[in-house]
Amino acid sequence: MNRLDEWRALDHCDDFDNDTTVKDEAEQVQKTKQVSDEWIIIKDSERVEVRTVDTQAALSLQASIKVAIGVVLSLAIADGDRRNSVMQELQQVMKTKQKNSQKTIVEKSRNVVINTYDTDIAVNIQLLLQILIAIVLTLDIL
Amino acid sequence: MSHSSKNHFPSEKVVQVMVDSILRKNGVKREELKSNISEEQKQMLKEMVEDLRKQVEAFQQSNRTDEDSDELRD
Repeated sequence: MNRLDEWRALDHCDDFDNDTTVKDEAEQVQKTKQVSDEWIIIKDSERVEVRTVDTQAALSLQASIKVAIGVVLSLAIADGDRRNSVMQELQQVMKTKQKNSQKTIVEKSRNVVINTYDTDIAVNIQLLLQILIAIVLTLDIL
Repeated sequence: MSHSSKNHFPSEKVVQVMVDSILRKNGVKREELKSNISEEQKQMLKEMVEDLRKQVEAFQQSNRTDEDSDELRD
């Protein structure tokens, strides 16, 4: 393609009015964004053993703990306003954005063991559990 | 491999202080909480937390075992 014909993002930098105003969302949605990108390429090799973390299982465990935190708070605090306020503050801490990209390439090798470990998700699960336990301890349930 | 995953975990104390301060700030009192939850509910919550704790432990353990076997092979 001719260089002139190429579409280039910077050629189209129009000055348009940007009238975006900052809005505070009334309700903060519990946001957990996790992207796990894992590539394992094995070429021309033999006896390669691959072990990866089951991300789906980890995510569902994470979701369960979040639900549990919600359940405990809704049982414990009768007053809706205060409950929402507590929830919101906790959610600010729980809000996480994580991206995990791993690429593993094995080529012309024998007897290889590959272990991949998603530290992000492990940490997040641990944090959520600790929050749950801390709440429950404060409530004198444990 | 150089990941000592355990060290990345948030400190228990930090989380506890945080939760405590959030509850305190919103005027949530221990006594009030206690009166809102019946003994039966308490027991249920206890079991729920224990169950989740076990699941997390199992999850972390399965990762750790993988790491250990990895180290053995190095």
